[in-house]
Amino acid sequence: MDWLFPSGFKYPPDFHIPSLTGQPLFHLGPLSYTNAHLTMAIVIVILAGLAWLVTRNLRDRPTGLQNAIEMLVQGLDDFVVSIGGAGSRKYLPLFGTLFLFIVFSNWLSVIPFVGQIEFLHSPTADYHINFGMALIAWLAYQTEGFKHLKLEYPKRWFNVSGFKDGPFIGGIFILVGIIELFSEMFRLLTLTLRLWGNVLGGEIMLVVMSGLLFVPGLALPFVGLEVFIGLVQGLVFALLVLMYFVLAIESHDEEHEEGSHTDTDRVPSPEQHPASQAA
Amino acid sequence: MEFAGLAAGIAVGFGVLGPGIGVGIIAAKSSEAIGRNPDAAGLIRTNMILGAALAEGLGILSFVLGILLWTRIG
Repeated sequence: MDWLFPSGFKYPPDFHIPSLTGQPLFHLGPLSYTNAHLTMAIVIVILAGLAWLVTRNLRDRPTGLQNAIEMLVQGLDDFVVSIGGAGSRKYLPLFGTLFLFIVFSNWLSVIPFVGQIEFLHSPTADYHINFGMALIAWLAYQTEGFKHLKLEYPKRWFNVSGFKDGPFIGGIFILVGIIELFSEMFRLLTLTLRLWGNVLGGEIMLVVMSGLLFVPGLALPFVGLEVFIGLVQGLVFALLVLMYFVLAIESHDEEHEEGSHTDTDRVPSPEQHPASQAA
Repeated sequence: MEFAGLAAGIAVGFGVLGPGIGVGIIAAKSSEAIGRNPDAAGLIRTNMILGAALAEGLGILSFVLGILLWTRIG
């Protein structure tokens, strides 16, 4: 047994749990450059290099790499249009960038050594970077809301129009506005923590599983699970940001007409389907 | 401080219970809805992912709390 366990048998073994944030590599005055920054730079270089390679000489009949990237962009575009209509196509750059960056970073965290050695730490497993992305998206959709609805926009938080129906209704409108205001703040918090918790939790789970299961290959199913979760979390972050944009630019007065229109469009009423009623 | 490990375990365990039930209900109902109206599958799937993410966020909050307690133990 000595050749198998040179430093003595121990169960459970000592884990190297990934650190909660990136560790500073060097300091520039009050700022520190962490290993998460370095890995983020690597992700950006990979994505930008891919974009440069593909768009270097575009062809009318795409082949190989250009075909794959065009499929990806087309898929993202179709997805955005199916969520928010053709008018929300201008949010595709932000949506697509967030999606691709987060998914690539999440998949980096699954690769061995990332999060384990000194120079690599997945960017989305560091909540500072997640908070930065959430803050950018938050500021962008607030700006978009103000640009679209002008002074109508803050009315969803400070609504005094209910007072013409009496003080009780007015008070309820004020309370609803306060809840809305708090939910805006909580969007920042939950966007950040959801992504960070998922990615860091996945990393910790992979380390613990591969430590506890002895045989290295036995932890592979969890790697597959983490790859799937990385994709879903990237989609969820980008999709939530898109939904916040859509909610920010829609005015409350048009809401009812739009809703009823799409309802009759999509859901067939029972009178149109006598067969299903009989069954 | 000696009960911090226990507190972390209980926080994560109970905190994940609710979102687990919630995500299960969301998945079951959306499967039902897709079975009833397959044409709207895309829309329902998107809404399902959104709802599941929102429910899951609460579980993640308790997980973060657990991690914070666990790092206090050292």
